[in-house]
Amino acid sequence: MAMNTDRRRNNAPSGGTGAPVFARTIREPEYLENLRPSRSRGPNELRRIFLQTSIIPSASGSAYLEIPSSSPATSSTLIPPTSSLKITASIQGPKPLPRSAPFSPTLLLTTTVKFAPFATRHRRGYIRDSAERDLGVHLETALRGVIIGERWPKSGVDVVVTILEGDEDGWWGDSTSEGSATGSGWGLLNVLAGCITVASAAITDAGIDCVDVVCGGVAAITRNTESRQDKELARVLDPCPAEHKEVVAACVVGYLASRDEITEIWMKGDVGSDPDGLVEGATHAAVGSLAVVKEVLLEALQTKFQGQLEGNEGGLKRKAQDVEMTG
Amino acid sequence: MEMATATQTPPALTFPRAVFAAVAPHPFLQAHLSADKKSIRANGRTASEFRTPGINTGSLTHCNGSAVVRLGNTSVVCGVRAEILKEEDIAGTYAYAAHSADQDEEGEEEDDSEEVEGIRLLVPNVELATGSTPSHIPGTAPTTYAQTLITRLRNLLHSTCLLRASNLRILYKPSTNPENPDTEAETQLKGYWVLYLDIFFISIDGNAFDAAWISVLAALRDTLLPHAYFDEEYEGILCSDDSNEAHRLQLRGLPIPSTFAVFEGMREDDDDEDDVDWVLSDPDAFEEGVCRETVSVVVDCQGGKKGTRDLVIRRVEKSGGGVVGREMMAGLVKMSIDRWGVVEGVLSGKT
Repeated sequence: MAMNTDRRRNNAPSGGTGAPVFARTIREPEYLENLRPSRSRGPNELRRIFLQTSIIPSASGSAYLEIPSSSPATSSTLIPPTSSLKITASIQGPKPLPRSAPFSPTLLLTTTVKFAPFATRHRRGYIRDSAERDLGVHLETALRGVIIGERWPKSGVDVVVTILEGDEDGWWGDSTSEGSATGSGWGLLNVLAGCITVASAAITDAGIDCVDVVCGGVAAITRNTESRQDKELARVLDPCPAEHKEVVAACVVGYLASRDEITEIWMKGDVGSDPDGLVEGATHAAVGSLAVVKEVLLEALQTKFQGQLEGNEGGLKRKAQDVEMTG
Repeated sequence: MEMATATQTPPALTFPRAVFAAVAPHPFLQAHLSADKKSIRANGRTASEFRTPGINTGSLTHCNGSAVVRLGNTSVVCGVRAEILKEEDIAGTYAYAAHSADQDEEGEEEDDSEEVEGIRLLVPNVELATGSTPSHIPGTAPTTYAQTLITRLRNLLHSTCLLRASNLRILYKPSTNPENPDTEAETQLKGYWVLYLDIFFISIDGNAFDAAWISVLAALRDTLLPHAYFDEEYEGILCSDDSNEAHRLQLRGLPIPSTFAVFEGMREDDDDEDDVDWVLSDPDAFEEGVCRETVSVVVDCQGGKKGTRDLVIRRVEKSGGGVVGREMMAGLVKMSIDRWGVVEGVLSGKT
């Protein structure tokens, strides 16, 4: 467990540390089962989304997305409940490329996705790992198809996405006890969908021309082990992996609703005979989050214009106090 | 400007505010400060006005304690995460003396800085490359600024001895003494809690240090460590998930920093007697860009009532110039005391 030392940061003790083990989770299996979250939403019902734009004044555009956990938090235990999704996105640019860079006729898009160390149940490091780089590439693909890059030759834009809290790959109890959460990485799909939605809102906030507002959505096929018929598969929208004992397949899309186009698709698992149904489900989920994004962007635009109108009225009075430079 | 006059524009050329600020930041700020009689900064504050922090705690799921602090447009998230360092993994030759733990309860202060600092029980780190400012773009190693910032924060953590080692120890007292069944067994050290303090900046608009420190303080005050014990059967350290058994950290004092920037105005030849230097409290990013001299005063007034008598100066950092002398420094310390009262009020949820 020895961490590779990074001389530019403060490192943990060289012996390595471990996450605390809670006594009741290893001693009392029925207590553990008690804590298991379950889906209380309908199969086509999405979690609530909170979105806010312009949170970083020094960036040209920014947005914050939060999808609160749907399972109620229990105060009796110190074991962290299922996590919610909290993502910030910041757009720096478009700005001119450095002189040394080769000529580019279109806007150069750079996407960076980074998990905060406290984003997941297992502490993450500061140096980007392969999962984060992978997410960055997927996000870039999703955004590249939307931005009208020809309008900014010789310029670049940085899209920086920070995940303060990410969805989990499965219920934490499963990974310690039986390990039935097969084919991990389900949480990443949710995270990617969140990244696409929040980055798209931030890009719109930055005023970069796009053909449409791209939104992320996830659908999954889950196996219900409790039911009588042995293999009862169910399709759910916006799955929270911790709430399902077994996820069979999942799919995330970056979807342009008004053009009915998909810029990014990532499918995992055993899809079975009906992959189209899964993709369609994911697009439905994307349309759901689009409704929120549209409303928030419209609201932000209204307040911006309201502010400008008031600014114009007060402008005459203000002018007398303003500092003038003559030359 | 010559070009502008050449094209026969009106004789007086005026700029919109934003352009003036971007083209000539220094004269812009000076014009603001020297306008009229009362000097108002470009951001609308008076020279000695701080931004009141807004604090939100406990919003991160996977942290033992967390805080979001907003200082104007500067916003920062700090998460405290506790993990266990087992006794056999401790590097170095630190030997735990069993008796010190018993005396500690009586308020007798032990010197535990060697324990906390030497074993590295606190692991603070800061991340600026989150798109929080255009000057810190991810993909590169931490900048000098980021490294300086975290070193200052770490030094303050250690020099103020904020954390008590007794809060972080995981002790074990065997039920029977294997060597001599009649006497009580000696308390053994089984491990430590290691606190990871991760400071993530969401947005920076000046005074990153104060914001980061306030977020660390708020997160540490919010931190709840589960009750950890050595289990003989399991032969390892287990924790209780009951929140009634958990304990909070007992911090030593409440040191709060106040940062000032010194703005040196351009002196005009005819009236060089005029005072053209301003000390700006809690500078924003624009002001930091035009000021060279900065002063940081860390005070702690928790020992008693708010006032100079009960004041403890924990740290003074000053660099970049010589405008602030001895008398001015005394004034800054007084302002820091007022600032301490405001921040303390927000931290304890009074306002």
